[in-house]
Amino acid sequence: MKSLNRRQFMKGSIASAAAFTAFPQSKAHGANEKVIMGVMGLGGRGTYLAETFAMRPDVEIAYLSDTNTRRFARAREAVEEAQGKRTKLVQDFRKILDDPNVDCLVNATPDHWHGLGSIMACQAGKDVYVEKPMSHNIWEGRKMVEAARKYKRVVQVGMQSRSAAYSKKAKQYIESGKMGDIYLVRVFNMMQHAMQRETPNQPVPDGFDYDMWCGPAPKLPYNPSRRWLNQWEYSCGPIPGDAIHQLDIARYLLNDMPYPKSVSHAGGVNALRDGRETPDTQFATFDYGRLTLLLETALWTPYMKKTPSNIRDSDGFPNWPFSSTKVEILGTKGFMHFSRHGGGWQAFDSECELVRSEFGRQGDKEHQDNFIDCIHTRKKPNADVEMGHQSALLCHMANISYRVGNKQLEFDPQTESFTNSDQANKYLKRKYREPWVVPEKV
Amino acid sequence: MLQRVLLSVAIVAVCCNCAFSKWLEISNIKIKQEPTELGGPKTIIEYDIEDPNISPESPAYVFIRYSKDKSNWRLITKDCLRGNGFDIVEKPGHKQVVWWGTEQTTFNELNKVDIRLRGIQMIRVPAGKFIFKSLPGGGRDESKEITPSSDLPLFYMAKFETTIIMYADYLNEIGGEGAGWNQRMANIDRCGIIRKSDNTYSVEPSRENYPITYISWYDATNFLQWCGLRLPTETEFEKALRGGLFLDGDEAKKDSNLMPERRYPWGDEAPDAGGVFRCNYDGSEDGFEYTAPVGSYDIFSSPYGFCDLAGNVAEWTLDWYSTSFHTGLDGFRMVRGGSWMAVPVACDAITGATQLPLKESSIMGFRAAK
Repeated sequence: MKSLNRRQFMKGSIASAAAFTAFPQSKAHGANEKVIMGVMGLGGRGTYLAETFAMRPDVEIAYLSDTNTRRFARAREAVEEAQGKRTKLVQDFRKILDDPNVDCLVNATPDHWHGLGSIMACQAGKDVYVEKPMSHNIWEGRKMVEAARKYKRVVQVGMQSRSAAYSKKAKQYIESGKMGDIYLVRVFNMMQHAMQRETPNQPVPDGFDYDMWCGPAPKLPYNPSRRWLNQWEYSCGPIPGDAIHQLDIARYLLNDMPYPKSVSHAGGVNALRDGRETPDTQFATFDYGRLTLLLETALWTPYMKKTPSNIRDSDGFPNWPFSSTKVEILGTKGFMHFSRHGGGWQAFDSECELVRSEFGRQGDKEHQDNFIDCIHTRKKPNADVEMGHQSALLCHMANISYRVGNKQLEFDPQTESFTNSDQANKYLKRKYREPWVVPEKV
Repeated sequence: MLQRVLLSVAIVAVCCNCAFSKWLEISNIKIKQEPTELGGPKTIIEYDIEDPNISPESPAYVFIRYSKDKSNWRLITKDCLRGNGFDIVEKPGHKQVVWWGTEQTTFNELNKVDIRLRGIQMIRVPAGKFIFKSLPGGGRDESKEITPSSDLPLFYMAKFETTIIMYADYLNEIGGEGAGWNQRMANIDRCGIIRKSDNTYSVEPSRENYPITYISWYDATNFLQWCGLRLPTETEFEKALRGGLFLDGDEAKKDSNLMPERRYPWGDEAPDAGGVFRCNYDGSEDGFEYTAPVGSYDIFSSPYGFCDLAGNVAEWTLDWYSTSFHTGLDGFRMVRGGSWMAVPVACDAITGATQLPLKESSIMGFRAAK
């Protein structure tokens, strides 16, 4: 079959499953070859990932991509200083997918581009490192899994706590039975966000391909004062966008527990009444049958602190009562505090005696090691796309419960849909803007 | 009774060629002590500063540092000084400064004291309103969690970015174990400061007048505290670039700014419009593959005369960028002005970038403000 070029691809066939085979397939990868990488999205996280991957001797950053050319310089400088070699700058990430020498794509875009960008990369034969939350909606997440499996791609989700050594020790401790049976898990994400101050819409600045930035989402009037993180069209919301780390580690610690039976939600925009769409207070209850998972989150709690930087990579623990990103595991014989960001964990017995402590270190490097290793071995990575989907699904379920009026929703794992609300099912999938449509058959 | 002493003290760091280093030239320094009726001597410092460009609109900032043991140096604070030759100096000519404070009264022998004077070319930005972040076709790609002010009081900012020779001078004075220096500064293409085995610093030939790079936010603020100065805020940077609604300030209101929403320091033309290169941005077609000597594009300066606010090196500001993701951590600082690696549109009046304060980058430098 004759390959379509990129323009032909754009013109008529994004939604066509056949079109996705049009990308040149990447070369077979030898164990000692450098991994050639492109990075899509050059915000803070994307630039960090680009720089840290570039510092590795076994990786070369061949491309940096962002729809906003103003973002190029910071990332390019960091990458070129790290790898001592020039990198190409492109506004259109499809140029990365067109290059058969590229092995993988790092997708650090806003939420609404995670799904399609990653699926297109899989179609093009690229392995993918995609930031969390990996999907914009439940249906899209399933399509990402299907694409990864169909095209036999390694897809690692940026939920790096799974790769931290202290997480594994905590999991082993729970599995040892010393905490008894676990019936309750509390996940916290208590942050402090500022009010957004809306200003009038603006013309799109030169050098910024706003149409492509919007991609699958509606092209709303350009207004940078409205943070994309606070808009449903582009985001899962600022709370799920961060809380997913703790939700995912809770799932990991409890052996990747399967789907919850139901979700119920309380909360809304309580404090930051600035025109935002996404809630600033989210309490969700996930019913797993004999296990209940509580998510307690807010954006207006300045006394709750993330693990301080002097504790993250040293022998120390956060101030647990005021730890904003902790997970609490409650068993019939014991209790565990677990802290994200390398904050470690501590376990207590039924007499409230401290019985086990483990300091932590952040898992970023180990997560990247694991991704590169899997590119060579073709094994599933620590935060495989299915795990990413299962964890993102919790965020989507909580959001949907909120959006239908804080109703309790019953969930069917077979169909990944709700059984008691047609209204809720309307939020399972977004409306995609042509031509940026995720196809039914990937 | 104190003996009257009149002697020339070794003035080590006073620069002789302002076009070469961006320290202003200070000469004929004389220092003496005289008794006072109230007890303790006063030290009188006299010098000449002859740069004809010095004016109320473009004054010199003169600061004085001293050492009693040739290794530990201190800034003489303003409240210990009297006269017409320190802090903001608005006219060239002969200057006299009287230093009368606790520190100097402990000098038993003046010839054991080293005193150094340095001057920086500043520009006065009068108080008044300006247009902040409202450029049509501009905008920011991130909302910032500060309340922007569009009415600033009087401030002063350095005409040029801080140069390599200025920073090397600072390093040589603070000495020690290499604080403020990192190995990347030895990169001859992008910086050019060599740390020698005796813990002194030298500048690669011909690199003196290039902007200092690979400098963290902390390094920059330490240098400026050493001078008695600070970084500019984002709003100050933007007003310096674009100009107030009245260039002579809101009190006078005689000199109206014809382009208060200008896109670049020189106006709205693109940096390469008509084949004329107006600043140092990405690529070598503008004549510089990496940084350019400060002031290389001085005919394209801002309405007040600031050089290189667009391109060359992006500049640290005093402002920080905060999101909840970094609450409790040492968050991002704001960087303005584009760089030699930036696309032309990123050298405009409003584009900002965020950087962690420990970042040492070849595309970032700084300038002073007061």
